[in-house]
Amino acid sequence: MSEAQDLQSRNQRASVQFKTQHSLVVAFFLLLFVFHALGIYLFCSGFLLSRLVLQDRSLCDTPPAAIGSAYSTGTIEKGCWHPKTFDKAVVILVDALRYDFTVPFQPKPGDEQPHYFHNALPFLYDISVEQPQNAFLRPFIADPPTTTLQRLKGLTTGTLPVLIDAGSNFAGTAIDEDNLVEQLFKAGKKVVHIGDDTWHSLFPGYFEPNLTKPFDSFNVWDLHTVDNGVNTHLFPLLEPDMRGRWDVIFGHYLGVDHAGHRYGPDHPAMTDKLKQMDGVFRRMIDKLDEETLLVVMGDHGMDVKGDHGGESDDEIEAALWMYSKRGVFGHHGNEPAAPPLTAKERAVGQIDLVPTLAYLLGLPVPFNNLGRPIAEAFLGPRGDYGKLAEVNRLTAAQIHQYQGRYAQARGLDESATSTTATLWQAAHSTYQRLRGTTKSQDLRTVSDAFVAYAEENLRICRGLWARFDLISMGMGISVLIGTLVVLAIYAQGIRADRATITPLLLSFGAAGTAVGGVAGAAVGLIPALSFTQISAFGAAAGGILATLTGLWPARKILSVPLPRTFWGGLCFLVTTLLCGGFAANSFTIWEDEQLLFILTTFGVLMLGSSLGQEYKEDRVFGAANAVSFLLATRLSSMSRLCREEQMPDCRSSYYASATSSTSAGWQLAIPFLVFAVLPSAISLSYKRTKNYQGMGVLWIRYAMRIGLGLVAVYWIMDAADDGEWFSSISKSDLRTWRVVVAQLTLGLAFAAGYSTYLIAGPLISVEETEATDPAPEVSLPDDVLQEDGGIFTPMPTTTAKPRKKIIILGYANTHGSRYLLLPCAWILALQLMQKPMGQGALALCMISIVNLLEIIDANDLRHSPLGPTLLALMGCFYFFKTGHQAALATIQWESAFIPLRSVRYPWSPLLVALNTFGAQILCAMAVPAISVWKVPPKQPGLLGRVAGAMATHLLFYAAVAVATVVECAWLRRHLMLYRVFMPRMLMAITVLLLVEVVGIGVALVGVRWSILSVNDVFGWPGTAQDQEEEGEEGEKEKKKKKEE
Amino acid sequence: MATPVTPVAETPSQPISVLSTQPALFFANLQPILLLGTVLFSFRSLVANPVGTLLGLAPTVAIVQTLYCVICLPIAAQVEEAGRKAASRAGAGVGVGVKKKGTKTAQDPDIWAKLVPAFLSMTLTLVLSTPLLYIFTVLFGAPLMTHNAHTLLLALHLALLVTPHLYYVHGLDAQTWLRIASLQLPLDETYGLSLGALAGAWMGAVPIPLDWDREWQKWPVTVVVGMYIGAVVGKLLGGYVVKGWRIKLS
Repeated sequence: MSEAQDLQSRNQRASVQFKTQHSLVVAFFLLLFVFHALGIYLFCSGFLLSRLVLQDRSLCDTPPAAIGSAYSTGTIEKGCWHPKTFDKAVVILVDALRYDFTVPFQPKPGDEQPHYFHNALPFLYDISVEQPQNAFLRPFIADPPTTTLQRLKGLTTGTLPVLIDAGSNFAGTAIDEDNLVEQLFKAGKKVVHIGDDTWHSLFPGYFEPNLTKPFDSFNVWDLHTVDNGVNTHLFPLLEPDMRGRWDVIFGHYLGVDHAGHRYGPDHPAMTDKLKQMDGVFRRMIDKLDEETLLVVMGDHGMDVKGDHGGESDDEIEAALWMYSKRGVFGHHGNEPAAPPLTAKERAVGQIDLVPTLAYLLGLPVPFNNLGRPIAEAFLGPRGDYGKLAEVNRLTAAQIHQYQGRYAQARGLDESATSTTATLWQAAHSTYQRLRGTTKSQDLRTVSDAFVAYAEENLRICRGLWARFDLISMGMGISVLIGTLVVLAIYAQGIRADRATITPLLLSFGAAGTAVGGVAGAAVGLIPALSFTQISAFGAAAGGILATLTGLWPARKILSVPLPRTFWGGLCFLVTTLLCGGFAANSFTIWEDEQLLFILTTFGVLMLGSSLGQEYKEDRVFGAANAVSFLLATRLSSMSRLCREEQMPDCRSSYYASATSSTSAGWQLAIPFLVFAVLPSAISLSYKRTKNYQGMGVLWIRYAMRIGLGLVAVYWIMDAADDGEWFSSISKSDLRTWRVVVAQLTLGLAFAAGYSTYLIAGPLISVEETEATDPAPEVSLPDDVLQEDGGIFTPMPTTTAKPRKKIIILGYANTHGSRYLLLPCAWILALQLMQKPMGQGALALCMISIVNLLEIIDANDLRHSPLGPTLLALMGCFYFFKTGHQAALATIQWESAFIPLRSVRYPWSPLLVALNTFGAQILCAMAVPAISVWKVPPKQPGLLGRVAGAMATHLLFYAAVAVATVVECAWLRRHLMLYRVFMPRMLMAITVLLLVEVVGIGVALVGVRWSILSVNDVFGWPGTAQDQEEEGEEGEKEKKKKKEE
Repeated sequence: MATPVTPVAETPSQPISVLSTQPALFFANLQPILLLGTVLFSFRSLVANPVGTLLGLAPTVAIVQTLYCVICLPIAAQVEEAGRKAASRAGAGVGVGVKKKGTKTAQDPDIWAKLVPAFLSMTLTLVLSTPLLYIFTVLFGAPLMTHNAHTLLLALHLALLVTPHLYYVHGLDAQTWLRIASLQLPLDETYGLSLGALAGAWMGAVPIPLDWDREWQKWPVTVVVGMYIGAVVGKLLGGYVVKGWRIKLS
């Protein structure tokens, strides 16, 4: 009796001890996460830094240079620096209006037939040809990144975009430098905005509250709400009785962009959309009066799939069209009047719109502007070079003034601006020499001289603002490398139970971080240094050094974290090769194919290794799983989404066609296939070890099946909505139901899934049978064991005969089967967020994970770095196979609207993250399963093993992050930096932080319940019962004797 | 503790040595020159017309490999006998100098006893190894729908470099082949040749994605060149440098 109590109290103590250790391990991983975050912050603040924002504003009564003889300093009524041309303006932004949408189709070799997006919007071109004095159409080149937020900044301030804003598409912040909207507002003009609500986050409070009508911009499923809304609210304002109520209208249509995102440009929906726009402009010019300027423009283009964000030609080539009832436009005498037929000729920059609109409306040019006036708007029908020369001179003077202030504020050296200084002098002397001339030729010379200055200045600014803060980058890189060292030692250099020395490391590390942070803050108070950067660096460096110091007392159990086994060496080699490959743009571009190659290499070697196993069962089972792994990998590799740089050697299969972003009809069968196969495939593994019972059956057979069924139903409804299959059901009803189905699925995955996971006991059951006398504990012949497959425990009872034996079904994989319920719950949510093709890939990923667990067990490699590293490689591989690339344009923003109707923070970005990094999330969650798969319930040191596996997994991602960061810093002048290296680096650091969050918050935290539930039933390692069970643990047949 | 159900092999196998006859030594050294020479001399036409060239080269390589088997290598029966003797001697505690004596003491078979296994080895290479290696090449990412002739000929050449001598010296004993597949055999000239060809082919795939726009980057030129170089390097390493070593998978 007292013995039982003693045992109970010892178990309780062990349980408490486990909980404490577990919390400390989680805290230590959080500390590593903090180091990574600080390192990444430091690097990014140096790398993504570009431009100092000057707060100066241009003023109406202080022109940047003496105003020419013809005009004295003006007023808002007449025009500030130059007589104005128009009183009012209607500025229409058609999101993603690519230049080739607006001009007649030009057959090219290999592209003889017009696409859906050709010849659907002929109006702009036609009227520019018919009435060149009233209208002109030009290619309108965007400065990347081609996201709407960045473009709006460029189109209103006239400056170049800063990199750090590239990712902030979800949260625009107010522009705090001089811009057109603010100038209009300050001049007392009544500004109205209708359409995309991004404008409101950029220019809060500047618009007429009664007439303005913002619309949610990110619901890309919806092609019509915004456009119809803009029409409803815009056209009434053009009526004569409303003309006094406004001065400038900004209208922002989103339908073309959304049609591109949803269907791709080559789709009938795009034709309809462009035709609708055509009609809108036809109606609009009927309503215009003579004093109003109409501007129609695209803020960027779209790539072949209808996405944008990058810097490919298709993405930056937008269109600009200006129209006026008065014939005020002209063109250079040596150029044709008709608009260019391709975007490669006579293009203007998007920032050029800023000075152009400013002069046309009589405003001062915003202080930070770098653009130059568009010649066509000032030449007049007869080619008046005087006017053009004057506006070019004033703009050049404003730019010169700005440069002076900027150089002063930044402390720039002379060499960077010496060529512009020369050009400025030359232009100025030309102007002085030819002053008062009226000869067109001379005026053009003056004009061209100032244009040359503005152009050279812009070129230099592009170079300068890609200026990197090497010190900050260096601090970031050293922090990241230091963390990598800590992680490597923790993962692969500790030869004892990690969980026991983690508290020591944690206390050293945390103390070091605090001390370092304070020291850094103290140094950072020196005014010349950046306070946040120095304290961040101090905290990280202090923490890393202290953690390394904390390893000193434990030095006896440390070893150099270099590979010593075949598999370790292979993992090391592959990771190193991959990291080195990121220094070459070709390897970065073709990463998906390399990962297939690498995974197959592992698969083939695992197949070979399995074939060499001593026991037939291991051999056959290991080999079968290796073959399944190989086939699943190759099958999923058929799902491809090519990036632009892979063309023409790549054919996308992710969507219906290369120029679409909807799924093909046959792809809709994939969710149903997953529904039918995936739960059965997972259950096979549970059944083999008799763990398919209790909560396991409940979740895998029923809940998972239902969840995957809902996913399939959701995507059918989505296709029905896209294809308009049921005209009887209204679109909004269909959408409501779709959202309900999606939310149900998420509810099932998270609410029901986590409840199941938290409350489930071990997936075992106990059978009691009469044992035949004598000697019931004698093991039966092996063939009998295999026949019934039971994992059983003969148990001689303490009382007399007949003796009983107790069979514990599911003993062999108690921990593993219990933990795998967690990924099985999450996969429902992850599947829902993928397109049908991606669901197939992700299901194959899940099957490969189970295969991998079995192979590792068959080859007894659970202590090798193979499993965690291979899972990381699989995470990367399936990232590509779920329709992504390391390029901003492949982010599937529309996935935010799967379970929601509108943008909601913080859910929308989280949903996009679930879609984008679904594979990495799933693989990170599977990491603890490697350490706990088919280990005996009372295996000691399990937590330390799990921590080691997780650290090894993170080590891979950390190595990739360090490699890409260092290579980005090294290749910072490379032509492909922004196109190839920087997106890969951004992806690497995002994935690192995300996998850490998932690895800690889901996997490591989740292990707690799994281990607790098993050990609370079986008792904890190190307690009394333990000794009796030793000896059987290593056996494959998992027999266990136990006294009752 | 349960005893192993079906252990893979009871006796540790010995590295294979080339027969110690004069022609055997001569041809064993000539073979790498022939293999390397064939592919390097036809490199230009391989780049210009991979399918035609690979098809044309295949008989030559097959003959070189057959001759190598017949002239240089002991047949499976001899190897087995040598292995048994070595094992018994090792059991008796006389383990030194086994390798060389093994081949000498075996009874020299007549020419037909060598030609028939060589012919069988080639047949198996053609009907068994080639399709199997084709499947593996596709698994590694070779095009599935296009370039079928290229990939098939690649698999054929790989099979010619990897398998005939293994069939010839090890026969078709399942246990031995499991050990071959799981890299458990000790390294020697023949095993080195095979593993070298596989590793060379693996490395040959590396330059394909580079954007150098060279004609020779096209499928499957680099892989073919890689496997021939790898085969020769592997043979020399296995035969001289690391002979008798074992790869430890776990």
